[in-house]
Amino acid sequence: MDTRKEKFPYGIPGHNLSEIEREIPIEEPPVWPINDKLKIIGKRVTRIDALDKVIGKAKYTSDIKLPGMLYAKFLRSNVPHAVITSIDISKAKSLTGVHAIHLIENTQKEGEENKNGKYPIVKYVGQPLGGIAAESLEIAKDAIALIKVNYEKKSFVIDIDTAMEIGAPIVFDEPITQQQDGGDVGETHDGSKGKGNVRGPSTSSFFGGPRGDLVKGFEEADVVVERTYRTQVHTHMPLETHGVVVDWNSDVMMVYASTQNTNAVRNEMASIFNLPKSKVRVFCDFMGGGFGAKHSSGSFGPMAANLAKKTGRPIWLMLDRQEEHLSEGNRPNSIQYLKIGAKKNGTLTGIQQRSHGTAGVALGAGVGRIAQILYTCPNFATEQYDVLTNAGPGAAWRAPGNVQGAFGLEQAIDELAEKLNMDPLTYRDKIDKSEVRKVERRRGAKLFDWSRRQPAGSGKGVVKKGLGVGQSTWPRFVTLDSSVEVKIHNDGGVEIRSSVQDIGTGTKTILAQVVAEELGLEVKDITVNIGDTFFPVGPGSGGSVVTGSITPPARNATYEAKKALLKLVAKKWETDSSELFIENGQIGSKKDASLKMPFKGATKLMRTSQISKIASRSDDYGGFQQPWGLAYGDLGSVQFAEVSVNTDTGFVKVDKIVAVHSCGRPLNIGQLESQINGGVIQGVSYALYENRVMDNGTGHMMNANVDQYKVPFSMEIPEIETLVVEEYSALSSTDAYGIGEPANIATAAAIANAVYNAIGVRLYEIPITPASILKALGKVS
Amino acid sequence: MEDKNQGSESKPTKAITRRSFIRGAGLSTAGSVLLTTNALAFAHKEQLVTGEEYGPEAMTIKMKVNGMMKSLSVEPRTTLASALRDHLELTGTKVVCDRGSCSACTVYLDGKPVNACMMSAFDVGDKEITTIEGIAQNGELHPVQQAFIEHDASQCGYCTPGMIMSCVHLVENNTDPNLEDVKNATRGNLCRCGTYPNVFKATLAAAKKTI
Amino acid sequence: MNKFSWYEAKSVEDALQQVNSTVSEQLYKHTDKASIFKSGGVDVFDWVKEGLLKPQKIINIRNIPGLDKIDYDRKKGMSIGSNVTLAEIASNPEIKTNYLALHQAVNHAATPQLRNMSTLGGNIAQRNRCWYFRSGDHDCFRKEGDRCFARHSETGENENHAIIDNGSCVSVHASSISTALMAFNASVVILNSEGEKKKVAMDDFFVTAAKDIAMENILQAKEIITEIILPAPSKNTKSAYIKQVARESYDWSLGDVAVVLEVSGNATCRSASIVLGAAAPVPYRSMEAQQALENKTINSENALAAAEAAMTIARPLAKNGYKVPLFVATIKQAILEIS
Repeated sequence: MDTRKEKFPYGIPGHNLSEIEREIPIEEPPVWPINDKLKIIGKRVTRIDALDKVIGKAKYTSDIKLPGMLYAKFLRSNVPHAVITSIDISKAKSLTGVHAIHLIENTQKEGEENKNGKYPIVKYVGQPLGGIAAESLEIAKDAIALIKVNYEKKSFVIDIDTAMEIGAPIVFDEPITQQQDGGDVGETHDGSKGKGNVRGPSTSSFFGGPRGDLVKGFEEADVVVERTYRTQVHTHMPLETHGVVVDWNSDVMMVYASTQNTNAVRNEMASIFNLPKSKVRVFCDFMGGGFGAKHSSGSFGPMAANLAKKTGRPIWLMLDRQEEHLSEGNRPNSIQYLKIGAKKNGTLTGIQQRSHGTAGVALGAGVGRIAQILYTCPNFATEQYDVLTNAGPGAAWRAPGNVQGAFGLEQAIDELAEKLNMDPLTYRDKIDKSEVRKVERRRGAKLFDWSRRQPAGSGKGVVKKGLGVGQSTWPRFVTLDSSVEVKIHNDGGVEIRSSVQDIGTGTKTILAQVVAEELGLEVKDITVNIGDTFFPVGPGSGGSVVTGSITPPARNATYEAKKALLKLVAKKWETDSSELFIENGQIGSKKDASLKMPFKGATKLMRTSQISKIASRSDDYGGFQQPWGLAYGDLGSVQFAEVSVNTDTGFVKVDKIVAVHSCGRPLNIGQLESQINGGVIQGVSYALYENRVMDNGTGHMMNANVDQYKVPFSMEIPEIETLVVEEYSALSSTDAYGIGEPANIATAAAIANAVYNAIGVRLYEIPITPASILKALGKVS
Repeated sequence: MEDKNQGSESKPTKAITRRSFIRGAGLSTAGSVLLTTNALAFAHKEQLVTGEEYGPEAMTIKMKVNGMMKSLSVEPRTTLASALRDHLELTGTKVVCDRGSCSACTVYLDGKPVNACMMSAFDVGDKEITTIEGIAQNGELHPVQQAFIEHDASQCGYCTPGMIMSCVHLVENNTDPNLEDVKNATRGNLCRCGTYPNVFKATLAAAKKTI
Repeated sequence: MNKFSWYEAKSVEDALQQVNSTVSEQLYKHTDKASIFKSGGVDVFDWVKEGLLKPQKIINIRNIPGLDKIDYDRKKGMSIGSNVTLAEIASNPEIKTNYLALHQAVNHAATPQLRNMSTLGGNIAQRNRCWYFRSGDHDCFRKEGDRCFARHSETGENENHAIIDNGSCVSVHASSISTALMAFNASVVILNSEGEKKKVAMDDFFVTAAKDIAMENILQAKEIITEIILPAPSKNTKSAYIKQVARESYDWSLGDVAVVLEVSGNATCRSASIVLGAAAPVPYRSMEAQQALENKTINSENALAAAEAAMTIARPLAKNGYKVPLFVATIKQAILEIS
């Protein structure tokens, strides 16, 4: 590979900005300076698709209406654990307006007796059993109500503590494994080990396994904090539910999907229906919210396709709100035992972690890597167990595992700091080797005015104020299978294409920014066509991988296309294309200021109708920590919380959050702020409000709606101040990363620490509610 | 599962005797007064004007939406939200909770914000409906819409139509709203992406411009 | 929703001729060919959407002329038509001036959108929000079932439920506006198909679960609410209303308190009307708190004593013990807001 050397900005402006020399592939574009010296990158560029959203023109999957389209509805179990003895569809079938019924059956190998029975065993309330396609959604619902399912009920278990007991009803009596669904960038979860409902443990991550000697570590400790923390199950509740519209009338199966991963949905559908990938086209233009659970075709994709096949008509299958809560993912709960030892000077000597969590009928209920890597500690071990229960499957949820993990770790560190008689920030300065978080702590403390903080529980009056802090780390993941095509058309138009989807994070806009910056054009000059698997493959929107994965190829492809265009101009001007540049829509020459040509004019020189360049993600400059795409560095954050606690009524109000974050080179400050706001608000919700309420006696979720599933609305929103710290690492042609997961990790921990600071009693369990505060204060008998 | 209900009371029953209790003693209990008798009340019973019954099958109704009279064939069980989305292809109005708890389906009924998911299309009568598609006039954005773009007040955008309907109504009816007013106006609007801070900023900015 | 026909009623007489059942009767035991009323329709559609209510005919009483008026007379008091929307009550200046607690209660109810849709008659007649009652998969006492799921000592999810009078059904009434109405000694005017019109005090309007498990109020099939009447307040009457909710933006009450006091010049409470919402299956008048406060100076100590007196009869369930200190704090605060 031909390479060249270039000097890149390196470090944090205003702190330690310097330069570093990197050897980079020869075809990659020259280094970008820091954002101050760029025109479009790092600026507050308005979303290119905002207009369609504010006038109601944006078409989401749920808005798709095709000629002859039928509406489909799922039949679901209403018992938590049972063998289906029979399903009577006769009445439903004869209802006017019903076109097809498809029941989910066990696949049977030819010539073998199906020992598992005709239908899959019901493992949770809300499990899909079949589907109906009808002329209207109302008719489909009427028909579902006419189906009679006969069950042979089995004993079940919902509650995690009960599920762990010996003699508890067994959810799966076989080893299970779970395929990664693309949204989970946590550990592989091993369901083959363990007993009964308790599977595992996982003891290692891609950052390695146990290290050092814990016994020795705790012997060396002068101070030890040993606690158990509990977090709840909460569900994603995106505004647009999971679902698809499938049109399979032509040779190509067209799938309109509300998805975070068009590519994964395409691959799954191709695999399930034994089609070549080229015969499945997944399309997602506008997507109504996804926080980790929308990476798969689920059961709705295959169901819609099966009904489309049976009826020969396009099928609309969007879930309703209840179905969304029951079956489309949740953040598993956790019971985390944490023991941390430190010397008198604060040096950590041991971290021991043991967790149990339930992702219902799925695996993946670990508590992440945060205890393993956030602080320097020579002795560490974790055991993370999955507990199977008869409840809907968990799914990736914004920083899977690590949000739970941070809630425990960051409270324990605070408690340790107090025992060591150190300020929580000062203590973190000592044990956290991250340079960017050090800057974040300083800048955040100033913005937040941390110096106001008083000793825990020292406030007077009924309403007590408290301040707290929490930190996070998130890896810089890169999906190497990320490509774009950039086209310069001979009418002056510029187009970028990729299968990558914009789930509301602003991917369309940052792609336009990158292309515009490289071409010396304006954002409005760029057409972004993405979310279509007929275009070059893009990453899934999970793990905060999108920005770091797709913007370098976008810049690289643009650079290639630009070079091709400038060659034509150079030929006309009889000069060398390396002397040419594009600025403000004009092509100029570094050598001869009199040479000028508008960009649009230059495209007239093309002999073909377009210049088309495809580029894919290359390895990072300087390589990876792990060759599959784990980049060096991390995405660090520090969040500060200010709360008021009414000690009479137990109500907690979050007054203010200061969120200080890093994501490499920030591309669009406005969109980053928006995403941080979202992470923070979901963190507030996790800390104080939302909670899946299950009835352990019947196995039903009692608050599977918007009304009783409490998430914050306008009145609950704290004042949020965000600060994005630029951090240059010279790792790619954009050096930019995402912010989705980092924004959500530290908030609940910061709030819990602030609540402790307010009332002087620590809460080890979320959500923190009036009931838990009043209990902690000894006011409930 | 074993029944471990608290308390020792047995299953309550529907009290057939309750009515006699109320009738017998009830009308003379404190505060209950017989105001009129049938003789007075329904004196002109024979002239009773009766209403009309529609449905249950689909029938064609007329509805004024965004200033235009539309004809559509709906059943009484067809919600206004479904009428707009599925029959008139006005899909800007979103259905999220389908129970009046999220306000994504907010439209104006004679100028007042209501939840289109909790009304029948037959509830509309001769009242006028305004949807998100009817907020911009002759291609010109309402200041709130413009401000939503400038202040990045939509992320995934699914709550945005409902949010804008709430905020436009506020700005049109309150020339000088403060932050609390904006929070009040949007207190029924669910957003999961976290656009609230920018919705507040955008609406306050738009309010200043509309004065 | 199931298929139903739509009857657009022209008058109360017309409506009463059409109707043959109540939502409550139908929820307790479904019958074919039920014709029921709907006004704002929010609660009715909620039930129909859940498939728990399957009317054959919905009689729309929302557009009946004459039921949408608010009249105030300094001597007679306030009359609010049953079709008056919550939004109209919230913006009525005379209600704000003379019945502050009602104004506050309405302002804290639901969302702006729902307040534009919901009518006062529908609000006080709505059914409770117990999640077991609202679930098609839980046949509880109120749906002719054999148990109260919420009351179960181990598995009952009863954090939102009743702490008083929770011997059978442990739900709490959903209308927090009724808490304020009852505190003002409001009455409900009910007309039946025979033309009889009666005025029923709010205290008698609601039916406890112990009396009749199927109903939460006395309304019967052939009856319609025409107006709600509030007696004229004396010039010494002062009121306050506080609702505690998990989520301030909009939520069902975890505990709400309406206090209406007649106060003499030296801050002495001459008479007290104190009603608790979300404490019992129906809005609960706390005789204990009223007695404790009457003829006492309104101060912090006496307010706390009244609040604690109210809670002496509380018998919390497994998960709602927090409601006791919550009510103590809230009752006290509401009383002190008046001083």
